Amino acid sequence: MPNLSRRAVLGSAAATLAAPILRPARAAAPVQMISHRFPALEYIAEKMRGAISGVEVNTQLMPYDKALELITISLSSRAGTPDILYAANPTFITFAKNGWIRPLDDLWEKHKEEFDLGDFSPAVQTSFSYDGHRWCMPATGNVMMFFYRKDILSKAGEKPPETFVAYRDLAKSLNSPMRAGTISCQRPVNSALNEASWYINALADGWFDDKWHPVFNGPKGVAAIEMMREITKYAQQGFTNAANDECTIALQQDTAAMGLQWATRAMSMDDPKQSRVVGKIDWSVPPQGHTPQGGDGYAISAFSKQDPDVLFRILATATSKQSIHGAASLMVPTRTSVLQDEELLGKYRFFPAARACLAASQGPPRLPEFDAVGLFITRRILQALTGEMAVKPALDAAASETENFLKGHGYYQ
Amino acid sequence: MFLIPSATVLGAVLIFPLGYAVYLSLFNYDLGAGIYQFIGLDNYAALLGESRFWGSLQRTVMIVVSAVTLEFTLGLLVAYGLYRLTFGVRTLNLLMFMPNVITPVVAALFLRWIFIGRWGLLSGILIGLGIFPPDFLGEPSWARFTVILADAWQFTPFMILVLYAGLNTVDQSQIEAAHVDGAGPWTLLFRIMIPGIRPLILFVLAIRIMDSFRFFDQIYVLTAGGPGSATETITMYTYALAFRLLQIGKASALGVMTLLLVAGAITGVIATLYRRERGAF
Repeated sequence: MPNLSRRAVLGSAAATLAAPILRPARAAAPVQMISHRFPALEYIAEKMRGAISGVEVNTQLMPYDKALELITISLSSRAGTPDILYAANPTFITFAKNGWIRPLDDLWEKHKEEFDLGDFSPAVQTSFSYDGHRWCMPATGNVMMFFYRKDILSKAGEKPPETFVAYRDLAKSLNSPMRAGTISCQRPVNSALNEASWYINALADGWFDDKWHPVFNGPKGVAAIEMMREITKYAQQGFTNAANDECTIALQQDTAAMGLQWATRAMSMDDPKQSRVVGKIDWSVPPQGHTPQGGDGYAISAFSKQDPDVLFRILATATSKQSIHGAASLMVPTRTSVLQDEELLGKYRFFPAARACLAASQGPPRLPEFDAVGLFITRRILQALTGEMAVKPALDAAASETENFLKGHGYYQ
Repeated sequence: MFLIPSATVLGAVLIFPLGYAVYLSLFNYDLGAGIYQFIGLDNYAALLGESRFWGSLQRTVMIVVSAVTLEFTLGLLVAYGLYRLTFGVRTLNLLMFMPNVITPVVAALFLRWIFIGRWGLLSGILIGLGIFPPDFLGEPSWARFTVILADAWQFTPFMILVLYAGLNTVDQSQIEAAHVDGAGPWTLLFRIMIPGIRPLILFVLAIRIMDSFRFFDQIYVLTAGGPGSATETITMYTYALAFRLLQIGKASALGVMTLLLVAGAITGVIATLYRRERGAF
């Protein structure tokens, strides 16, 4: 047994306490990043981790709602982390309006040449601008396409529908207990809001007037949601609780014949490890166009203690031309040079449809509170879809709740 | 003097957050709008005037009563079965307790893959047997049933464990006397065992009622409060107010109201179980 004298114990304790002070230099704190998760963003996160040698980047990826919740809590409490955060359109507008993220204009100008930032498509650049400033580094482009089983439609002598009436009739005729006529993703808030946006934009006059008064409860809006209710009669089981993952699986597992889904899910239809319908799915512009368009970006927290220049370089490296080229199968490329690459156009068969859908697409309203009021809207629409309420009173209630909420936020004065 | 450390810890982890929640509930504190304004009891008045509050309260009470009743009934029956079993009790007890060890979110993810429509495990089995399954998570009444079942699956083992331990503490002389008087197993259970473990029954019911009122994780994963508002409980509504609408003041008010409701429910349970023995608690 070693001889434990009082001096030895005190000496060891003093050495232990002094160790952190005597250490030559404290290792730099890792950069913290929080993001939504799907294959394209997993790829970008991996690129961030290896972007700058010697800079450790901790990436936490999670489902959209969870990521949004965590980011909101951190930013609203002005916490120093995360340094880099996921921000879709229009979520980033809320963050920008509250002063939670820093504008990127200075860094964008500084690094424009080095990272060829002008190569980002103008539409993508505009979608991440608000109030005259750039707020996000675009990561992925996305658009909702009409996915359909070309073998089934061909056997039935049908073509992809061009109107909602044709879509409803086709869904009805293809519907069977073992294979739903269509997919529908109605999990609140985002999935349901995206799908409802398609109906409201294509069949009615959109969500709001130019003063942000709700107009979706007008006669055309009611007719649009009535049509949605008709069509969801032929949707897959559990559609009221289905997000993009569940809808993708329904198509991959041959339990649904067609429906609206994001372009980022297209290539997974041809992955034999996940899909039973390899080569059988094709894509077109959704009936009557006005398909939702989105995209994912990354912003820098206004409260981060890290060097903004380093954070920007991480983002720019992860979304460089080379990086986006490598992820072209997982997204609609944000860079013009990649989107127009002839080799990729031939390689990824969903590209032509994605480009056509982009041309017929419509982004969400530029309202910072759109995500929040989406809670009222999707809840009421789901009450209408499940028969809890009739469509008109449900939309009237959603409009009234939306207006009250926006009034509380200083609108209509 | 000896109380100071414990009082400090209790104050820091219990009294301060509660006091802060009560304080915030008196403000129109909206993170999204950047508003922080004293409004007295207006948040409470607004909630009491909302049909959404009353609807979520009604659903919460329905889910709590159904889940706790199911858990208690099953728990008591299984515990009594184990009590009468002469072999393998320890192994069975261990196996049955496993669902309770799993984190609720993880358990909910398992259950989601079991109950999910069409390609979920349960649907797969039913289709294999030639039965077309119902939409467990997508149809309002089935969704309510499924979340109750999910809660029961995870928390019945807790009931079993506590009630089984309680049954083993009942005075053997009373049981023998009942046997001598010709009491059968059910008479023994209802006349001797249950009255003998009444404080323990109160304990498990109180714990489960408090827990069930806070039922969130499983509903969030299984149905997100839907379809429509079919499974939207008070905690789901609180979550929506705080994290989707960023109305922290109103969410705090709803949290305080939930606390008062749970306290009221527990008082009701104590009063019912001890109505003939005033002063027992």
